[in-house]
Amino acid sequence: MRRYETFVIIDPDISEEQRAPVVERITDIIAKENGLLAMVDEWGTRKLAYEIKKKPRGYYIRIDFCGTGSVVDEMERFFRIDDRVMKYMTVLLDKEVDLEKIKEDMAKAEAEKEALAAQKAQAAEQSVEAVSETAEIPEESKAEAVEIPEESKTEAVEIPEEGKTEAVEEPKAPEAETDAEAPSSEEGDSETENETESVEPATAETESKKEE
Amino acid sequence: MAAFRPRRAFRKKRVYHRRKVCRFCADSSLVIDYKDPKALRYFITERGKILPRRISGCCARHQRALTHAIKRARTIALLPYVGTLD
Repeated sequence: MRRYETFVIIDPDISEEQRAPVVERITDIIAKENGLLAMVDEWGTRKLAYEIKKKPRGYYIRIDFCGTGSVVDEMERFFRIDDRVMKYMTVLLDKEVDLEKIKEDMAKAEAEKEALAAQKAQAAEQSVEAVSETAEIPEESKAEAVEIPEESKTEAVEIPEEGKTEAVEEPKAPEAETDAEAPSSEEGDSETENETESVEPATAETESKKEE
Repeated sequence: MAAFRPRRAFRKKRVYHRRKVCRFCADSSLVIDYKDPKALRYFITERGKILPRRISGCCARHQRALTHAIKRARTIALLPYVGTLD
């Protein structure tokens, strides 16, 4: 058994219902040829670096699977026939694979996914609770406000604001990480520029040597 | 004139001589992956050509891996074959 990775670029203009059968067919082929489907990763619609069939965009799907050459042959035959598929590429990742290990990895990945989903759900619940708490507080303070209008009003205004800012700050944290990556990439760019400059003297030197 | 030239070139060579280190060897956390066109973009020109080793400063092994990755990225339209202005 070998491990392969296939990229398929599907026509982005067709609807979701028309797109689904392609993935279904792929999974069918893998199952028929005694392969093991490890993962289907849908990247979604992306801009292409160059036009394919006069289209500037494409819907990317990455399929990670194990199998023999017959799976790849059958799959690529299907891609060539199907009009919805604009382009495909299969890459060999591993010549010998341990099926048990891959199954374990798949189970692990799924567990992680579930954990992440659970965490997200929890975070959402917490934020909902925070909002509901802040919503409750002004009601109480309003009841008080009938008795002592001036003081309690200021309190009622302050509390919900705090609760809201906290709830907003939590989801923002991952964005800061992505921002941090950007400057490092700029550094890399400036380095390459410097390097191109440093090449010039070397070529000049070789020219002068030729003249000699 | 002809006598001056080699000396000038020699001086220039001393000024700019700097041993480049392969950045993939220096930092093992960097992985060459054809699925990551953003990272590969630093190793191609604006016109989409692959930068030569003397400019990218990569060692032979990593330059080979890089070339391979860029060519794969081109086949699935993540990188251009011919340069585009974008």
